[in-house]
Amino acid sequence: MSIWVGGFKGLLGGVAVVAFSLIGEAGHPKRFAGLFSAAPSVAVASLLMTVLLKGSAGTVPYARGMLIGSAGMIAYCLASLYLIDRLHALLGSILSWLAWLMVAGGLYLMLGR
Amino acid sequence: MEGELLLRDDREPVGFEWSKIRSVTRSDLGIRFVFGTGIALIAAVAGMVVGPKFGGLFLAFPAILPASLTLIEKKEGTTKAWADASGGVFGALGLAAFALTAMLLLPWNPAAALVLALVAWAVTSMGLYFVFRMTGLFLLQDRLAAKGQ
Repeated sequence: MSIWVGGFKGLLGGVAVVAFSLIGEAGHPKRFAGLFSAAPSVAVASLLMTVLLKGSAGTVPYARGMLIGSAGMIAYCLASLYLIDRLHALLGSILSWLAWLMVAGGLYLMLGR
Repeated sequence: MEGELLLRDDREPVGFEWSKIRSVTRSDLGIRFVFGTGIALIAAVAGMVVGPKFGGLFLAFPAILPASLTLIEKKEGTTKAWADASGGVFGALGLAAFALTAMLLLPWNPAAALVLALVAWAVTSMGLYFVFRMTGLFLLQDRLAAKGQ
């Protein structure tokens, strides 16, 4: 993968994140809008580029990794519910990264690389 | 977290008010763009250096959530930030449905797989949201997670 392809993947990911976050901004009530906070924005952009560059066989392992990462994301959101109410948004949501790391990292190591 | 405020917000009809987009500042969008670009780059580099399965982990990393939750708290208060994170749980379950659908259907037809994976995300996350909304399960979720409820 050249530096240009990596850069393009990054830009596409950034645009997708902005697009989904604007949909979330327009959504109401807030709990419904929250669905778009965990939308597959980066994934759509990145998997699309990988399909174009490597074909479907080269993309499946990325989706497999993403499935493991999703378990971490569920743990992150549950942990943030607990921590935001007690520590406020910034500290609570940053500390919740540990939940993602433990679940996604643990499952990745357990299920084999 | 204020239960009354949350309850009032939950009773709002579900929909989109597109005029609200105009109130989003350029710096808010810039922060999200930078975090989105950053995590997509990390996923790409991790996939190249360690392996694609490892890179894939970062396609479901909550990179922009701390920034967006902090912005919501600053503008609308902790209760609204909490409500957004609460909806994020359903979005995350939808994310798993997205990844599973993509994983299973990519060998069959890559373009259709990505479209159907997006449909799986929408159906799972929105389906769960409406089930919780209609059955009052949000109250149970709120009692379990919030302090002093």
